[in-house]
Amino acid sequence: MTELPMTHDVLTERAPAKRSVNFITVLAALILASMALIFGLGLRHQQQTQPTEGMAPLFTLQTLDGQEIALEALRGQVVVINFWASWCGPCRDEAAELEAAWQQYKDKDVIFLGIAYTDTERNAQAYLKEFGITYPNGLDYKTKISAQYRITGVPETFIVDRQGHISEFVMTPLKRVQLSAMIERALAKGTQP
Amino acid sequence: MNRLLKIGVMLLCLAIALSAVTLSAFAQDDPRRPVTDDEVNAVSKKLYCPVCENITLDTCGTLACAQWREEVRILLSEGKTPEQVIENFVMRFGDRVVGTPADPTLRALALITPWLLSALVLLATGAVFLRWRKERPAAAPSAPEAKAATSVRTFAEYRARIEADLAARR
Repeated sequence: MTELPMTHDVLTERAPAKRSVNFITVLAALILASMALIFGLGLRHQQQTQPTEGMAPLFTLQTLDGQEIALEALRGQVVVINFWASWCGPCRDEAAELEAAWQQYKDKDVIFLGIAYTDTERNAQAYLKEFGITYPNGLDYKTKISAQYRITGVPETFIVDRQGHISEFVMTPLKRVQLSAMIERALAKGTQP
Repeated sequence: MNRLLKIGVMLLCLAIALSAVTLSAFAQDDPRRPVTDDEVNAVSKKLYCPVCENITLDTCGTLACAQWREEVRILLSEGKTPEQVIENFVMRFGDRVVGTPADPTLRALALITPWLLSALVLLATGAVFLRWRKERPAAAPSAPEAKAATSVRTFAEYRARIEADLAARR
């Protein structure tokens, strides 16, 4: 005599576990989505480049001699924003050139702003003293300004025209002649805003 | 000669006393303490290079990292605790020095996702455990009970089958 196959209602016995399984699926989907978002945002962040046109991001620089300079208050002047660091070799190559250009343009509606990226005050001061730099310089507190300008290294220089638009951007050490030409182009763009 | 020797000894004693006073005064003025490389490295391990990607200060060979390590040494020598040094760096250079993403959305997600992941693992473990607890009595009943239940069901089914066969023959 053969034994009859036993029927077993699997579905009815497993029914209570269904809700927890569903909840876990939702949670897993949520995690996958957030991981995808992290990856996507990271990728987007990597692909973001320095602004080369449009309005220059606004900031207020606390200079090493205690002044506060707001970019917005400099409308009507051409602004040369130079990101540098005392530990950066190429920055040393351009330091004297920048100071020479500043001496040439400081009375011609042009202002230079030096922003020390991830630098300590002691080292930044020593650097400025070493190269005899006289234009306003300040530390990039919490690296907020460099994040706004999405710099990828130092030195990087932005020329902002009288209307507050980014006129030019250079990510190599500058020579005085090159910088002068850029400033002249920005000056030629217009007089008052 | 003897007198000269006495004067010499006196002058020497005076010089020693003066230098001791000067040195002790200097030591009181400078509250810095010597900091070992190990102490600097212990803090540097928790800080990231401002230039390179995902490299901590203690292993980075750039000048930027060398300067930051020196800054760590100075802060430690001024009596700051490692936690205070890290806090000081975060205050000055932002969250990125401790490896937190600069993008606010990315930072929020990076903070939330590990917790979500942990919750998922915990829930999955809990669900598996509960299911296992529920299924155990049904799937693996005690041996005599299972045998009895099976034999009752089998007998009833055999009987029904025999009755059906007999009915068909009639």
